[in-house]
Amino acid sequence: MSLFLPKLSCKKDIDDVIKGVAEKVVVLRFGRDEDSVCLQLDEILSKTAHDLSNMASIYIVDVDKAPIYTRYFDISYIPSTVFFFNGQHMKVDYGSPDHTKFVGSFKTKQDFMDLIEVIYRGAMRGKMIVQSPIDPQNIPKYDLLYHGI
Amino acid sequence: MGAHYCSVCRQTTFTGKAHIFGKNHQSRLRVVLLKFLEKVKEARRTLKKPLVEKFDCTQHRETFWCYCCGLEIERHSTDGNMTVLYGGLIEHMSTPEHRKNTHKFWWDNKADPKLRDKVIIPEEETERFKVEVAKVLDSFVEKEDEFIKQQADYIRAQEKHRQEVLQSLLERDAETELFNGPNGTDVCAEASVSSQLASHGSDQHVGSSFVDTMAEVKWASTGQNLTFIGYQDSSSSGNVHTGAVPPWLQDDPQEGTSGATVHPEIGPSLQEFHKHKEQEKLRKLPPNRVGANFDHSSHTDANWLPSFGRVWNSGRRWQSRRQFRQEEGQKNRQKRKREHGTNGSKKTKPAEHQTTSANT
Repeated sequence: MSLFLPKLSCKKDIDDVIKGVAEKVVVLRFGRDEDSVCLQLDEILSKTAHDLSNMASIYIVDVDKAPIYTRYFDISYIPSTVFFFNGQHMKVDYGSPDHTKFVGSFKTKQDFMDLIEVIYRGAMRGKMIVQSPIDPQNIPKYDLLYHGI
Repeated sequence: MGAHYCSVCRQTTFTGKAHIFGKNHQSRLRVVLLKFLEKVKEARRTLKKPLVEKFDCTQHRETFWCYCCGLEIERHSTDGNMTVLYGGLIEHMSTPEHRKNTHKFWWDNKADPKLRDKVIIPEEETERFKVEVAKVLDSFVEKEDEFIKQQADYIRAQEKHRQEVLQSLLERDAETELFNGPNGTDVCAEASVSSQLASHGSDQHVGSSFVDTMAEVKWASTGQNLTFIGYQDSSSSGNVHTGAVPPWLQDDPQEGTSGATVHPEIGPSLQEFHKHKEQEKLRKLPPNRVGANFDHSSHTDANWLPSFGRVWNSGRRWQSRRQFRQEEGQKNRQKRKREHGTNGSKKTKPAEHQTTSANT
């Protein structure tokens, strides 16, 4: 749990942030405050938030507070990080099965900063999907859950 | 035989004493003494009857040249408020130095000894003069006080007159207010008016309103056959007599809105400027960036969802939103169908639908 990052506690807050933040990457961290990996990720996010303040606005969302977004974004593992730019969802090709969100924690602060920069530059060039700059070894591996498969 | 400067002729002579006896010197000395004696005579006239005047810096700062002592002396004596005319001259004439210098001057210039005593004023005469001056000063101060009192009275009277005029104006206002009152409740005023009415014999107005009767009485008393259109009530806004704002300077409520549009603020407002600055900043950004024409301030309802491309979604991103809406609707329907609780976990259910949609 981070005391330094703004928290969004209902769907309307999330809507306002996604719609209202202009020309910046919106980072939404879906997770729970007491989860250990979430705590790791929050540490990285809060330490880099100031340096990235020109490129990104970072927000923390509790998965239980906004169930409709949890369903809409298919969040099955926490923490999951979703990126938006000017109200548009930004996809990133991490080399993992899921392009829509980053699942798990970043290994270093620099990984996260590189990712934000790549997303920002890509969005400025009109790219809706960008290639992840993070070393594939540093991306946590997981299996997508399919019900019944 | 050395050089000798003659102060009367204002020239240096080398003839010694001969110059003094010369015709030139004697005639000049006569002129000088004539002027000098003229002044002294004037002063002597006030010796018996001193004159005291209010101090006037343009007139009472005069000096005179005493030929005998070779000094410039104040003609009048003053203390800044009052002036004793020729006081300074008389005082100087009675000093022993002046007496000595006068004797010397007369001897040096061989002037007429008969005139000598005229420029010397004896001590006892000066004493007498001083006593006289004291008396005159007292009376002068008294006179001044009286004058000041008169001035004060005059000012007071003026002030009183002004107050009276003001009071009369205020009273007139009060009267008009009284007349404009709902019933004209002043009984004695009504009585007086009714008595006037009776005297004029126009008793057909007794039942009408008080204001009308009052006006009628006025017009009847003037004896003119003019049409009375009614008393104009101006107690709330005032009229020309009470110094109210004239109608052409007042804001017309009908023109108020149009006037504001006709005379807008010159130049751009601060808000417009900020907006323009914001747009200038945006113009530097690439025009084809993601969500370039996304309307950040658009109002949306509670069911709004952002664009989101789901994992198994093929096609455009907004299709995943539509798909999600369909799933939600289906789930709700399913929920309503099987209320006994065989529905699976929330997380896995959308994935199930996704797989089906991906397969199709």
